[in-house]
Amino acid sequence: MTVTADKPAVTTHTRPPVRRRRRSPATWVRGGGLGALVFLLPMLVVFTAFSWYPIVESVVMSFQQTNLITAPVFVGLDNFRAVLTDPLLWTAVRNTAWFALLALLFGFPVPLVAAVLMSEVRRWRGLYSALAYLPVVIPPVVAVLLWKFCYDAGPNGVFNTMLRAVGLGPLPWLQDSSSAMVSLVVEATWAAAGGTIIIYLAALTSVSPDLYEAAEIDGASVWGKIWHVTLPQLRGVLLITFILQIIGTAQVFLEPFLFTGGGPAHATTTILLLIYDYAFAGTLGGDYGSATALSVLLALVLAVFSALYFRLTRGWGTS
Amino acid sequence: MNRGLLSSYDWRRPVVRRTARTLHAVLLGLLFLAGLGPVLWLAKSAITPTQDTLRDPLALFPHGIDLSTLATAWTRVQIDHYFLNTVLLAAGSWLVQIVVATTAGFVLSVLRPRYRHVVSAVVLATMFVPSIVLLVPMYLTMVHLSLLNTFWAVWLPSGASAFNVLVVQRFFANLPGEVFEAARVDGAGAGRLFWSLVLPMSRPVIGVVSVFAVIASWKDFLWPMLVLPDPSAQPLSVRLPALQPFVELDVFLAALAISTVIPVVLFLVFQRLFLRNDALSGAVKG
Amino acid sequence: MSWKLVTTGAALAVAATALAGCAGGATSSDGRTVLTVSIDPGLDKGAVAAFTSRVKQFETANPGIDVRTEEFKWDATTFTAKLAGGTLPDVFTLPFTDGRGLIQRRQVADISGLVRALPYFSAFSPQIAKAGEAEDGGMWAVPISAYGQALHYNRSLFTQAGLNPDNPPSTWDEVRADARQIAQRTGQAGYAEMTTDNTGGWILTTLDYAFGGRTEQLAGDQAKSTVDNQQLVDALGTLHTMRWDDNSMGSNFLYDWNGINQDFAAGRIGMYVSGGANYGSLRAQNAIKPADYGVTTLPLVGKNAGVLGGGTLAAVSASAADQVKAAAVKWIDFYYMRKQTDQAAAVADAKTTADSGEVVGAPELPVFDKAQYDRRMGWISQYVNVPVKQMAPYTDKMFDQPLVPEPTKSTQQVYALLDTVVQKVLTDRDADINALLADAQRQAQTLVDRG
Repeated sequence: MTVTADKPAVTTHTRPPVRRRRRSPATWVRGGGLGALVFLLPMLVVFTAFSWYPIVESVVMSFQQTNLITAPVFVGLDNFRAVLTDPLLWTAVRNTAWFALLALLFGFPVPLVAAVLMSEVRRWRGLYSALAYLPVVIPPVVAVLLWKFCYDAGPNGVFNTMLRAVGLGPLPWLQDSSSAMVSLVVEATWAAAGGTIIIYLAALTSVSPDLYEAAEIDGASVWGKIWHVTLPQLRGVLLITFILQIIGTAQVFLEPFLFTGGGPAHATTTILLLIYDYAFAGTLGGDYGSATALSVLLALVLAVFSALYFRLTRGWGTS
Repeated sequence: MNRGLLSSYDWRRPVVRRTARTLHAVLLGLLFLAGLGPVLWLAKSAITPTQDTLRDPLALFPHGIDLSTLATAWTRVQIDHYFLNTVLLAAGSWLVQIVVATTAGFVLSVLRPRYRHVVSAVVLATMFVPSIVLLVPMYLTMVHLSLLNTFWAVWLPSGASAFNVLVVQRFFANLPGEVFEAARVDGAGAGRLFWSLVLPMSRPVIGVVSVFAVIASWKDFLWPMLVLPDPSAQPLSVRLPALQPFVELDVFLAALAISTVIPVVLFLVFQRLFLRNDALSGAVKG
Repeated sequence: MSWKLVTTGAALAVAATALAGCAGGATSSDGRTVLTVSIDPGLDKGAVAAFTSRVKQFETANPGIDVRTEEFKWDATTFTAKLAGGTLPDVFTLPFTDGRGLIQRRQVADISGLVRALPYFSAFSPQIAKAGEAEDGGMWAVPISAYGQALHYNRSLFTQAGLNPDNPPSTWDEVRADARQIAQRTGQAGYAEMTTDNTGGWILTTLDYAFGGRTEQLAGDQAKSTVDNQQLVDALGTLHTMRWDDNSMGSNFLYDWNGINQDFAAGRIGMYVSGGANYGSLRAQNAIKPADYGVTTLPLVGKNAGVLGGGTLAAVSASAADQVKAAAVKWIDFYYMRKQTDQAAAVADAKTTADSGEVVGAPELPVFDKAQYDRRMGWISQYVNVPVKQMAPYTDKMFDQPLVPEPTKSTQQVYALLDTVVQKVLTDRDADINALLADAQRQAQTLVDRG
């Protein structure tokens, strides 16, 4: 609930113009500067301690070797070299890209189709929305543990029992390198699709009916309307959700961690899992230098990707 | 008239009507299966003995119901304790986030000091940094401040949410400036402005931030796992996976079911808030 | 204005809590030395009561020491963080494998002088003592228990499958045959193997030793990784056959230590390899039915074969003050060691443990020598509450098997490499064992060289 948006951005001074005062500390305090600063303090403290300073420290640490007991040692680009020559890195990059691709394949068209269908539901849309959103509400840890049990590869595993009922053989799910990642993506998509559906639905219901009427006057069929009106109108939302999905899936951690621990044989080791392993799973105090180096590299890649993406798609979005 | 893709003419055509109805029915069926199915199966299995679940997971109570699993999960596995931890963590995080976001938004949009653009830009910039970059330094900060195993280690960092600040800032910027001007002319200082004017008007945005804050806290896994190694301090999200090897399957599933009840119930009760706010986030992002 | 109070109050609260975090001092308010000792987490009330009564006995005997307890579970990943943050208990336990690294890096206190003064210092079995020794031979961490790997089996599943539970397999061919029979007749996994969290490498190294191979060769200070030895190829070949040809290894190949214990106790696994003293965990954490439990010696093949040995060390935090160190060694002596060497202490400990329903008499290996071990077993025999007869296949022969220590260089990291190898062999029918081991060998040598 916001007030009308035609408020001017700048507050107009209602006082008569005054001589330009010399700015002194006293002027500043009297002008309410101190009050503003005090109110800004919570944000400044929290952001400095838990956002800005850690970002800077991360970059600094990526050039050091730290073991928490002795003072950190400056090692130049050694950490980056070590990370880039780690054979696991390329496995992790490949796996992360594979996850992102599968997630896009499953997670993009399905919510879109569902949202388009749902936007035409007259009376029971609330029911549809609630059902679609329910998986999002289930805490992710619970969802993963539940699916992990259902993914039991034995003949009596929940999913294998369901497959048996329709005559299909038991699948290895998490126990096979090729199916493990797919299993992860299926659960991840199930858990996230509801949110995407709701976003698309909101965008769909805001498409002006006039556009549809204009298309109908031009003789467009139902398909034609979808193709020429709906999708173009959704372009903005689609572009945003696409880049957000890429950035999100590049940082997938929970699913590989809880489902398989990165296995079998590193088939589901993602970049985040590798960073976690560097920092927290190596024995006796992790390799914080490598962990921060890889984090910095990932952040840079995502930043460059986002910048390129926004530049390329600048003209594509709806006004 | 309120119409979408299909016009009233379209609806009158039998082909369109039948196709749409069929597709809707199929979709509804799939939504029931994918949305409600897992929840119902979990509820059923939570009160089914382990052997039945293992041997025939889809059967409906072949040997009757075992309600004691729920009691065992609650007492022996101490779900109540971890549930309390989850609630406390969410409450503290919520408070920190509200305090940080409202004060910052207030300054940036109402008090408007000369340096506000710099601050806004620096805050916005952090939205583009993946949170993994912060993980190790924040962890080491907690180690050095001896805040490991305290709830502060989770509460404080939660406040550093650029999204919250921006949402609140935008909301405050849309509030009527005349009211504040009038109050200022009457001699109100920043404190009064904030407490007596801005806060009462900001209920909607506080609602939005609150929903996001509580949901994010409930789902949080990696960070609490790192900074709360002591099991008795852990929330449900961290404790449940760690518990799995030590409890029987039926009790474990009961624990999972209990952990799901509150979020699901809250969702069903406050549906409109959840669903509308996702639309709001979509609009904000767009 | 109220908001000012709120913010000031909050700031003060944060500061106070942060300061409170830097708690602890070496002296309590009444002048006694404060000693924080570790207790296993997740214990039930009986075990906690037993521990508390031992603490009280110690305090009575040592009025100058104030003992506080803190739950502690050895966790390699958070150890350094705990050390840096000062939240380690003064006395804590850790496995042999990690002890060497900690001592090398001086991350535990040097208590060698105090330990040397203990009456039984020279009686430690030399093999076992090495686990806690620094380069100069001083004992920086005290070995408090030792074990060898064993083959655990489920007697009920054996019976169900038509096998004789009193006649467990004694060769790997018999293991394979029995596993196949269990899988065919009961539908449960006949043999299962740990594969994640470095346990895959741990068990694979165990199998390598059992087949007569070694994964590391030491020449003075240099180490050569020999992970690609022929015996490990043979061991992996056996696993591959059981998995793919016999289908006797069930359908879960991502077991860690906890998970495999749980499934074994629940009757879903016929046989598996793990530490010989596992019965205590199976009972306390997984509620195994005593009648189901059986254990036998690991089948050894060839003349170089041996049993991988491990154990637990008790160490003192590097940040402990001198008077705390002295108190700590007294506690180690009282709680961990006396029950091995002193009859009254052994009986008292066994009695309180048994009374609280915990396990007494799980098959451990002696920290001193066999004679001492037999003496101790005699003292506590009336409190032993484990199914001794069911453990006979192991306890009868465990002293005859040569004990081989774990590899010393980059142990856990090499184990992590081998995790991948065994996971691949068990999940990919066409896995090329030789290629996998060659690759692991290369990476292991790099790790070992880096030190």
